[in-house]
Amino acid sequence: MADYKTNTINLFLHTSYQVSPQMTLFSTLSYNKSTGKLDEVVMDLDTTRLWNEVRGIYDLQHQNFDFSEMNEYAKMDYGLLGISLGFDYRISPRVTLSADGQYYDLKDDNEDGYVYGNETGSYFVVRAGVGYQF
Amino acid sequence: MKYLQILMLSGLLVLSICGLTVASQGTTSDVNSVWIGSHYTDFSDYVKKAGEYNLGNDEVLPEIKLNYGLRGENYFMRLNSHYYDDKNIFGNLTGYYEDRLKFNVQYQSLIKQAGRDLLENLEARESVGGNTGGGKMLTHEVLDADADYNTHRQMITTEADFVIDKKHKVNLMVAHRTIMESGTEQMISNSHCFSCHITSRSADIDKITHQIIAGLQAEVVGQTIGYEFGFRSFKSNADEVYNHYDVAVNPNDSSAAGEFSSRLLYEDSTLPYGTYPETKKMSHKFRVKGDAGKGNYAAAISYSKAENNITNLASTAWVGSASYAVGLSPRTRLIARVKASRLRTDDTLIDLPNYREGTSAGPQTNFDFTRYSSLDRADARFSAEVISRLNKKVTASVLLGYDWIDRYDYPIAGEGLTTKRMKGQLKVRYRKGIKYSTFVKYRFEKTTDPFVSGRGLFEERGRDELNPIPETFRFVFYFQREDLRYQSITTEPTDEHIFEWTSRWMPDRKVNLTIGLKGSYDKNGDLDSLDINHLALRPNLNLNINPNMNWSINLGGNYGYYKSSGPITVALFDG
Repeated sequence: MADYKTNTINLFLHTSYQVSPQMTLFSTLSYNKSTGKLDEVVMDLDTTRLWNEVRGIYDLQHQNFDFSEMNEYAKMDYGLLGISLGFDYRISPRVTLSADGQYYDLKDDNEDGYVYGNETGSYFVVRAGVGYQF
Repeated sequence: MKYLQILMLSGLLVLSICGLTVASQGTTSDVNSVWIGSHYTDFSDYVKKAGEYNLGNDEVLPEIKLNYGLRGENYFMRLNSHYYDDKNIFGNLTGYYEDRLKFNVQYQSLIKQAGRDLLENLEARESVGGNTGGGKMLTHEVLDADADYNTHRQMITTEADFVIDKKHKVNLMVAHRTIMESGTEQMISNSHCFSCHITSRSADIDKITHQIIAGLQAEVVGQTIGYEFGFRSFKSNADEVYNHYDVAVNPNDSSAAGEFSSRLLYEDSTLPYGTYPETKKMSHKFRVKGDAGKGNYAAAISYSKAENNITNLASTAWVGSASYAVGLSPRTRLIARVKASRLRTDDTLIDLPNYREGTSAGPQTNFDFTRYSSLDRADARFSAEVISRLNKKVTASVLLGYDWIDRYDYPIAGEGLTTKRMKGQLKVRYRKGIKYSTFVKYRFEKTTDPFVSGRGLFEERGRDELNPIPETFRFVFYFQREDLRYQSITTEPTDEHIFEWTSRWMPDRKVNLTIGLKGSYDKNGDLDSLDINHLALRPNLNLNINPNMNWSINLGGNYGYYKSSGPITVALFDG
């Protein structure tokens, strides 16, 4: 018997600040940490290998029952950090300029990555545009 | 697909323009807006996980948002749309006309990146003593190292509700949904017997699902009756993927070809695998509801039939349900519910070549069998819930329920497994004005004879109890070890506890706080030598602060802890 445990933490902070009637600033900070792992599998060698009286040998005596690293093959351990900053600027009652940037950084602490490899990566998005109300 | 996107966006635009032309005097517009801009994305290292819902390219793309609405004395229409890139698009048009017509049309497109299973944990080899490897092994090979896996999913939904006759409340409802998926996915296959070699290939994705629902409802003699027809189809138009299955011989010395091949259904062949089904499903549903005595009731009966056009297998389902709600006192209400269903799936004769057919010595065994589905069942569920407003602040409810599931032919034909489940639930809600409220729920389920696999999980060691067939033959075959299997296995619980708590505080309009906890624990106490249990805990917190007109702050978090206990089994190559 063995336990498989998964832990997930999500934290976030959104803020919006109206600097002036024309300008608003906004930001978001988020963090996600996820881990998943099987407990180490321990095979009881004394009961696994039984003395076979008929044949005069231990059953399966040639087999290696060391599964101490089996739980390392499919573990999950990563953290995802997200940051965004932006602003809206109203240049007239109908026209608004806006811009924002988002950055996401994923760090995979599972160095071996037998299933999908090491998934460490990041990306950013920069956006700008003009809005018109009518 | 691009043509479809253009068509959908044009359709939404045309409907918007129609709204304009329909507009009469006295029309007013909501606050409408259009935003035109562009975005630049830049990716580093592994992009499939961090940029899971992006195109994954370093590029500049245009981006557009359009929000437009019209409102008049007797009608309303609103369009919300967002074009992020050619794979991530959203558009929704909703509205109503008098109390005669309601409609909603939506188009959604998104892309999801998928990682590649490297198969690097599929490597094993038997030991013949010390560090010396034996001939039995498991290996893998990635045949599509440059493949880029992703799925582009598009969904179109339309709903409309027409009031045909106000006096008799005759309503016509129609709804439609189409889902289209395209892209590339990873297909994994294995060659058995000879090399136990796992391979990875790319396969196209080209799947389409259509779903249509049409219904009519009217009031007759004070009762509301309705009928609904449903149709759903699924098909994959992608090319099939093929794998070559090796010649079956002894992996050590390539000998005993006849012995090995006589035990298999196919070998030395190139065959398709990973084939998607082609299905269609039709359903009919009748509903009725109204007042009865001091309470009101609702009942429905439906019939559906689903078919797989490739295998010519079908399943049918009859489902009936009814509920009755009545006030026991000015503050107490009873709701009784009952549901019964009967599912049947076609039985299939599995016609196999004789085991070891063509060999010169030893037994040949016929393994033909009829496959009875574990879906075949009669299912009945009953529950009664009493809801009472104890005072101005406290509302409580108690529920008792009983489920009975009889699987006709599983695991043995004519000796099906019958699962019985008793349920109890308590809910309490406390509310102190608008400033504070708390909700607590506890549920317990006790199950007798949950679903189990039909075959034992474990094998007894050795083979001293087994004899060759016939007695003069020298082999004991692998299939004879079925007699040594024991321990039914299931992950279904016999005891389950579910708990939920949420509290909200809003001392003033500037601050509101929500905290909560959800938890569940289940175990199976019927298994002889196994300890199956699951534990889940999910606390959460959300805080909104608006200290003045300029600031808005929202912070919070949640935590999830999941633990599953179960048996770990390893494959041994010693036969």
